[in-house]
Order: sequence, then structure tokens, then C-alpha cells
Amino acid sequence: MIRSLLSSMIRLIVTVLGVVTVTFFLMRAIPGDPALYMLGDYATADAVAALQAKLGLDRPVVYQYGLFLKQTLSGDLGSSVVTGQPALTEIVSNLPWSIALAVLGMAIAIAIGVPLGITSARHQGTWLDRAVMVGALMGISFPVFWIGLVAILGFSHWAGLFPTLGAGNGQFWSELHHLILPATVLGISVAAYIARLTRSAMLEVLGQDYVRVARAMGISERRIFYRLALRNAMVPILSVISVTFAWSLGNAILIEVVFSRPGLGSTIMKAVLSRDYQLVQAGLLVLATAVVAINTLFNFLYGIIDPRLQKR
Amino acid sequence: MAHDHQHDGPDSTGRRRAIQALSATGMLTALPAWFNFAKAQTPTQRLLIRIGADISILDPARIFQIENQSVAANVYNGLVKYDQATNEIVPDLAESWTISDDAKIYTFKLRQGVEWHKGYGAFTSDDAKFSFDRVLDPATGSAYRGQIADIIEAVEAPDASTVRFVLKNTNAEFLHKVTAFNNGWLVSRKAVTEMGDKYNLNPIGTGPFVFEQWISGSEVRLSANPKYFEGAPKISQLIFRLIRDETAAAIALERKEIDIFFAMQQPEVIERLRKTAGVQVLEREASSTVNLVINTTIKPFDDIRVRRAIAHAINRPAIIKGFFRDTKYEARTVLTGAFPEYSTEVPDYPYDPELAKSLLKEAGVSNLRFEITTPGLNPYDKFVVPMANDLNQIGIQATIRVLERGAYQQARSSGNVQSCITSVVGPPDPGAPLVTLYARKSFPPGLNSARYEGVEDLLQAVSGELDADKRKAIYAEIQRKTMEDLPVLPLYADRLFMAHTDAVQGLVQNSMFTVQGYTTSVRGA
Repeated sequence: MIRSLLSSMIRLIVTVLGVVTVTFFLMRAIPGDPALYMLGDYATADAVAALQAKLGLDRPVVYQYGLFLKQTLSGDLGSSVVTGQPALTEIVSNLPWSIALAVLGMAIAIAIGVPLGITSARHQGTWLDRAVMVGALMGISFPVFWIGLVAILGFSHWAGLFPTLGAGNGQFWSELHHLILPATVLGISVAAYIARLTRSAMLEVLGQDYVRVARAMGISERRIFYRLALRNAMVPILSVISVTFAWSLGNAILIEVVFSRPGLGSTIMKAVLSRDYQLVQAGLLVLATAVVAINTLFNFLYGIIDPRLQKR
Repeated sequence: MAHDHQHDGPDSTGRRRAIQALSATGMLTALPAWFNFAKAQTPTQRLLIRIGADISILDPARIFQIENQSVAANVYNGLVKYDQATNEIVPDLAESWTISDDAKIYTFKLRQGVEWHKGYGAFTSDDAKFSFDRVLDPATGSAYRGQIADIIEAVEAPDASTVRFVLKNTNAEFLHKVTAFNNGWLVSRKAVTEMGDKYNLNPIGTGPFVFEQWISGSEVRLSANPKYFEGAPKISQLIFRLIRDETAAAIALERKEIDIFFAMQQPEVIERLRKTAGVQVLEREASSTVNLVINTTIKPFDDIRVRRAIAHAINRPAIIKGFFRDTKYEARTVLTGAFPEYSTEVPDYPYDPELAKSLLKEAGVSNLRFEITTPGLNPYDKFVVPMANDLNQIGIQATIRVLERGAYQQARSSGNVQSCITSVVGPPDPGAPLVTLYARKSFPPGLNSARYEGVEDLLQAVSGELDADKRKAIYAEIQRKTMEDLPVLPLYADRLFMAHTDAVQGLVQNSMFTVQGYTTSVRGA
């Protein structure tokens, strides 16, 4: 247990380090310059040089990287190049909005996707199965921002049930009210994936020899389905959920833009567009840590569900 | 009250306890309500204004972008300011001023008894001196240093209520450089020194509204300054709410979730709101044009006939009518009708594909390839498509290169782009667009990617000319000469659109792309 925990920690560090390193060099490789961005149309050559020096951008990239690593390891993620505020503070202040959206969105996705996938597998080949799968295909195929716009049009504009945008005025119920529509849109797009994968996981298990044996032994179909098959299908389903969680954070960026919500996604996007190196790095560091931590958490969950995995 | 949703009732302890109980069960731990502001608020009269991008820099030395400028315009004052309606220069923190006969010394008499926000003490001449000295200091990294560094010799504060500018040369246009906009906004020495980098998003001004809070990605909150020297504002809270998508903003306005829709651009949205009951659409001629800047150092565009051929080939009226549905206007020069210096006695280039073809033939150019570099922002990446099509019609192989803003700036500054789409947004100071587009010193980096040098002497002459009529004549000559040489083809004059609900009263739209809440009130609140 301790050994696996240790190896998870090492994996987390290596992955996060890889992500921030790639981010660091990628940001500097794309054309554009924070000093030029900030100085804008009235920029003069000496003003650009002065600002670059102030931001430390006149040093060699390798030197900047070394400095960045040193600071990161000591817990200092630097300050936003544009606003001058500590980068981590801005990222962390945006985190609750994204967590709320991702958690509620995933909860909706699981609540819709898993039962649909199971139902579909149970009634394989029937019109119900086909209807669910066509619906899921549509959910995957329509881009999430489009679903978002349609939802705003239908539920906010025509039906007037939900606010069109923003994240509420700071009151709990107002924030929940603002969260429902974006979380549902996110949930639907992820649910489509989960439904399809749950169905195939279930069908795979149902084709196994021990299921055939159980059937031959005359065990009721209901019992086979829920006790044998579902339990064994849980591991692939869980791994799908852990993977789609990372994917749903990506979709959350689009949803945040469509619904004008604050959050990690819109902050990172803004930072990339303004070449705010420090803010991008801090944002991706937090995001990568979150994704790896969630995957690690799910790895432990597999062990609980399937004791065989714990021994390995 | 007209806008119930805008008023926070005080949160009852009972409800808060219920929320805490919920969080204790772990059901809703992630909701951010308590992270930010669960504090009770008294009912107030609020004005909600939509902005399309988040704010980033509110330090006048480095400020840019209309969203930042709109917030700053409500927080800061300058020595003088542009009248919102007429663009005339009128007193602000300076009650009066005198200009020496040779226009080399400008002396401002300051208002007394003005207080900085949040207890930063009294406004004095030392603050005014400090505000300009720090822009001039290269270490500040101010974007506007280039605008004043070769004009100002020294800034002096002989006594607490006087500030004096000693200029290097005679300059009759100097008032524009100390007007309340960008680096003309005054800061408190104490606040800037004490706060350091934190000042950027904690601005301290003397204006009608006090900066309260920035919620990243969501909104900016300002509260009324009851001690404002021209009297307290009519509204008690001013909120800038971030809504990126224009259609979403239109829906929000229709549902009265916002009061003012600032910076409206899309023709479809403008048309839609014009037809909406209970909504007023305001429009005003901007002080900016959108231009095609052609690099005059790259062959064959160094040939004036080729540049003129391009001008004759582009059907600008059709783009204004067809693409923009008449929400933009014809541009004869890079100045617009918002400037008193605007002149129409300039060469014109009507749409004439046959003439364009013969000009190209005369220049001995065939199979011409022409690349237009444009920022990937609406509408700049879209209206160039009909433009390129027009050019293709006369046998020019026009291609469009759309770049995201950062990459676009870098490409433009490299000096290698054949042509690019450039807009100049700024105060109604005629020097601003003319110098930034045509002066040698404005590249690289800068907007003179045409690398044009044809009006250096005229630009020099205009600031040294004391006689207003003669100055106007020189401005007319600059416009004539630049339109004749055509390093820059003005494509259209911008037009500013804002919409507000019927409840909003007293809103004055200026030509500077900012929105001010001071004169505004909300009916029924």
C-alpha cells in the first residue's frame, strides 16, 4: 500500500513536471511577446526593451527555465506578467467555480450515462438500445458550445427558467441557479461518452465464459446481470469516468466562455491570448495536478471494487 | 425597484447555517459562494454595464484596451478632460491654466480640497508631477513614454496648487497630452509607492467612483465617491460585468440582467436591439478608422501606381453596405468627422476595377501576389474576405493571413508583412493617429508598418505652429499628402454603438470607446 502510494506520488511529480516544462517552452515558442502585447499600438523600441528587462524576458530561455524551476520548487509560481498579481492567487480564486461546474457536471453525467448504458446493454439489439446509442452519438457529435447556445436559447431566453450568463451574485441559491444549466450541458456531453462505454463494457462481460456457466446453472438473468456482470464491468466504467473527468475539464473551458462564467478554463484562455506566461504555467500546473490526482484516486478505487487489482 | 435581481438582501443567519450544514454533509462542498462574499449588503441603486473582455491593467502608465479604460475613466481624473459630448478640452483637476506666448511653458492651477480615494490624503501638485515623471522614467516601462518623452523637458511643482510643464519646443497641441485619458490620468504618489505591483488592480483616483473589487473572469465593482468634487454620483454602485458573446449580452439586456450594453459591434445584434421594445441604441462617430497599411518598402508596392490600383480595386462602399449593413461609414482620411481637423480635400479612390487594371499594366506588374495580414478578431478577420475577392477580380492573387493578436503584433513589428489591417483607437488628439501611422519614429515596433516617411517635416511643423488656423491648414496638408502617397488606405470610419434599457437616463456616449457612469441614473430605483 505504502509502496503504491509512493509510486503514485512519483508518477504525479514526473507528470506535472513534464506538463509544466512543455507548457514553459510551448508558450515561448508561439509567436507573440508579453511586452509587445501590453505596450500595444504605442509601443516604442526602448519601451519594449525596458519592459522585457523588467519581466526578465531578455534572459536566455534556458536561464528563465532554470529560474522558473527553482521558484516553482520553492512554491513560488510568480506573478501574472500582465496584472502583476500573484499567479497562484488568481488561479486558486477561480478554482471553486471550475470545481463546482466539473463536479456537478460529472455527477449529472454519471447519473444519466451509467443507467442509460446499462439499460442499453440489457436490451441489446432492441429499438431502445438503438435509440439510446443514436442519442449518445448525437451527444458526442454536437460540439458542447453549440449545445450550450441552444440551451441558453431554449431554457433561458424562451422558457426564462435560468439566467443567461454569469455565476450569480455571491448568494448560495443564486450561484446554484446559475450553475444548473452549464452543468447540465457539460453533463449531457460527457454522459453520451459514458453511456456508450458502459454499454460496451457490460456487453464484453456478458460474453465471458463464467456468465455462460452461470446461465447454464440456471441463475436468474436479473442476478447474473446485476451481481455478476455489473460488478465486473465497474472497473472499465470507473476508468472511463476518470478519463472523462480530465476531458470534461477541457469541455468546461468552452462552457465557461459560452455562459460567461469565471473559472480556470477562461482564465487560462485569457492568459494564453495575452501571453501571460506565469499565469498559464500556474494554471496548467494546477490543472495537471488535479487530473493526475483524480486518476490516482480512481486507481485506489479500483482496488476497493476489485480486490484482485489490489494485490498486483 | 425596477431591477429586483440586482439587489442582494442581507443573508439570514438561518440560511447560512443551512448552507454550512449542507457543506458539512459533503454534498455541495465545491460551490464557491462562501469563498468570495457572503457579507450582507444594503439595497443600493446599481448600474450594470456589459464589457466584452476582462480587465487587466488599471495603472495609467501602462493601461490599454477599452475595458480597462472604461473602468479607469470612472476612477481617475486628469488635469483637463474632453467634454463627453463635444470633445472640447475643459477643466478637470486643474481649475485653470496659462500658456506662455511661445507655447513652451504650460502652467496649471489645481483645484483645492480634493481627496484621493480610500484615505490616501489630499491631491497636490506633487502627485501631478509624480504622475508624469513616472511615465517619463524608462524604468516604469510605460507604453506612453514615447508620446511625451521628446516633448517634455521638465515637470515642476513650484507650490502645492501649481504644476508647470516646461517643453523642449514650442507645442501648441500640448493640452492633448495631459488630458484625462491613458497616461493623462493622475495617480497618487503615496498609493503607487506603497502598493508597488499591487497598484495595478487597486487603483486610487479622485474620480466619481471608488474601485472596490475585481472578481477575475466575472465582474468589476465600483462604489460611488460621496466626496467627489463635482458632487456625488446619482448611482451608488457601478458594476462592469464580463459577457464575451454579443448575442448573450443582447439577451441579457432584453431580460434586464444588465442596464448598458457597451461596445456593441455585430451588425445583426445592433439590428436586433434596434427593434427591441424598451431598449435604446446609441451611436456616435468614433475617432478611429480601420485601415489597410501597405508596406512601401517591399516591391512592387513601393510603386505608387500599384498602391492606387489596390485602392481602386476594393469596393469599400459595398463592404460598408453589404458586410457592415451601414453600421460603419466612409473614411476619406485616417481622421474622422469626430476631429475638427478632418479634411475632405484629399484625393479620392472610387471603386473602378478597369482603372485599377490599367494602373497595374502601366506599372508593368502582372501575376501580383498580395498578402493581407489581419488579427483574428471580429470583424477584422471577416470583412477582408470580400476585400480579397475584389482584388482577385482584377487579377491580383490576394491571400489572407489571420493571426491571433499576439502573433499578429509580432508579425507586424517584424516589418516583413506586405500589408496589414490596423486600427488606431485613442483620444480625439489628431496627433495620435497621424503620428502613430505616418511618423518614422512609430516603427518598429508600432503602427507605421508602411515604413512611410513622407510627412516628417509637416508633423514637425504642426506642433510648432501657434496659429490655430494655420495648424488646421497643416493638418489638411498632411491628410492630402498621405492620401496622395497612399501608404495607408482607410477602409472605413468606425462607429460606436451602445444599447441601454429605458430605465437608464442621462447616459452620454463619447467618441473614445469608454463609458462613464457619473451622469447616469436608473429610473424607478
